[in-house]
Amino acid sequence: MTAGLARTIVTGVIGSDTHIVGNRILTMALEKAGYKVVALGALTPAADFVRAAVETRAEAILVSSLYGQGELDCRGFRDLCVEAGLEDILLYAGGNLVVGKRSWDETEETFLKMGFDRAAPPGTRAETVLEWLARDLSPA
Amino acid sequence: MRPPVNAPATHDSVRLPLSQARIPEDAFAAMRRENLARWPSGAGVNFAAALERHRSLPRHKQLAWVMRKADAERRCLTQPRGGFGTFELQKELMKALDRDGHADIVPTTTDSYTRNEQWHLAQKGIEETEKLGRSMLNGYPMVNYGVGPARELIDAIDKPAIMLTGTTMPKLTGEIGYAAGYSGYLGSGIAYTVSYIKELSIEEGIRNYQYLDRLVAMYQDAGVELHRRQPGFLTGTNIPPCIAIVTCVLDCLLAAAQGVKNYGLEMGETLHLVQDAAATAVCREMCQEYLAKQGYADVFTPVTLLHWMGAWPHDDAQSAALISYGGTLAAIAGAVSVTTKTAHEAFGIPTPQANAEGLRMTRTAIYLARHIRLDGLPEFEREKDLIRREVRPIVDKVLEMGDGDAAIGTVRAFEAGVLDIPWSPNRGVKSRVLPARDADGYLRIVDPGLMPFPGEVMQLHEERLRRRAARDNIPYGPELAVASVYEIAEPVAKLLPDTWAALGSDS
Repeated sequence: MTAGLARTIVTGVIGSDTHIVGNRILTMALEKAGYKVVALGALTPAADFVRAAVETRAEAILVSSLYGQGELDCRGFRDLCVEAGLEDILLYAGGNLVVGKRSWDETEETFLKMGFDRAAPPGTRAETVLEWLARDLSPA
Repeated sequence: MRPPVNAPATHDSVRLPLSQARIPEDAFAAMRRENLARWPSGAGVNFAAALERHRSLPRHKQLAWVMRKADAERRCLTQPRGGFGTFELQKELMKALDRDGHADIVPTTTDSYTRNEQWHLAQKGIEETEKLGRSMLNGYPMVNYGVGPARELIDAIDKPAIMLTGTTMPKLTGEIGYAAGYSGYLGSGIAYTVSYIKELSIEEGIRNYQYLDRLVAMYQDAGVELHRRQPGFLTGTNIPPCIAIVTCVLDCLLAAAQGVKNYGLEMGETLHLVQDAAATAVCREMCQEYLAKQGYADVFTPVTLLHWMGAWPHDDAQSAALISYGGTLAAIAGAVSVTTKTAHEAFGIPTPQANAEGLRMTRTAIYLARHIRLDGLPEFEREKDLIRREVRPIVDKVLEMGDGDAAIGTVRAFEAGVLDIPWSPNRGVKSRVLPARDADGYLRIVDPGLMPFPGEVMQLHEERLRRRAARDNIPYGPELAVASVYEIAEPVAKLLPDTWAALGSDS
């Protein structure tokens, strides 16, 4: 797959969350697809995502959250990007994004309103994310 | 200024060289003064009042006594998890778990800000929760509320209460909870540090829990028995029993050295009945074997199994099966308690009702499985023997690397990769060891990394896993590990197809 060649993506698990497994599998899949991945790992503050994206001129930030507090952690994420000059950066969030069993439509709307381009429900596979990226990233 | 995330735990002005040795009394007194001054609610901890509090609790609300009693009667107790962002929500939850779920042990899970000692952020979470009317925190902010409200939570239930705090920094949460009448605390220096944090070194994690274990010994010396628990389930992702048990033994030695007498070991279910039963038996046996070698004869080490800790299916019916079968496994394995999940697991934090239902499902399964044991079954005996052959070489090597000291040996062994944990978020762990599920459903090791398992043991693992790889047409290697991460969450029709028509046309 040449579409992803040398394009940089930042991944990580936001906030005080340690759930690393899905994020690591996603990172492995992105690398295999030819992306350059800056993997920040677990327990990553929002500001660290943005700083890493600025430093590496990344085109997308993929934020994982499994522990329920993602809604609090992700508030203002788009504003941080804008402040750092990353108005157009692609933002995805995925995982168990809120506390409790709320409908996915509601959760998705919450995250889209916060400025994320896509929100991935629990159980989304890496292949789906690769398809989204291929569609959403403007041609190099 | 952004709040400190992953900030290392406070450094005590009294800093002894790392060793497993019991912290001397005067040094510990200084460490406590410093610790309790870190947040205003620390001033609410009064040791004399705390002793009085525990002495006034009936025995059936003391976890150390309840665990010993259950073990003597071969009972399998139930315990859920549960934590909400405000005192009122938490109180209602604990009452529901006690009364509607018939939980034998009632939990208080702390939120993730509290786990990382970000008490300022937890305060914001409490305010948001109150404003929005739904919990914005994934647990109860024990430190922010302090001793008084925690006492009220204990008074609202008629069971022993345990703190579930998923943290490498237990010092203030532990002080406050134990002072309020909580009689159990889940967490340990090795297991949580390698599983729940990115930046903290193994050494700091060990030191933090030596504090908590020393605190429990202080209560013990005053005649108050408290229960401690080790989270050997680690990262909860396909942990083979041998790796869990190695950490159980080492954490247990560290706790015993501080003076702990009641130390439970928790392991995640593999979901293979024979492997879980073998793991339960050998875990306790190995802990006792190494305790005896170091001269500790009176440490009680009951084993707890946990409902599936990996990814869950999104189908309520499939989830219900994991919950019930999880009760069956724990009961037959001879676990002294089982920690339950709910049909909401794949979606996040459950409602009190869903939580109570998970408890009742499990309880029914335990009742049905009473008195069934596998002793004498050849496959069970073989698996126990295999686990012993996996655990001893690693533990022996670790202790050798520490010249007999479990704390020093552990730190050196993680640096060398002799100790390793699958899917660890911690930078100080190599995380090269990779587990996968074999064709029969046992968890095995596909890549040992640098862990010194004997060659004949690894040969057996490889042979079993190659059969799985061939059956499912997956390349032998890391992809087998990744497929095993998702396996239990797959739709049941994929795991066990009902396409009889296709089969019929073959023959």
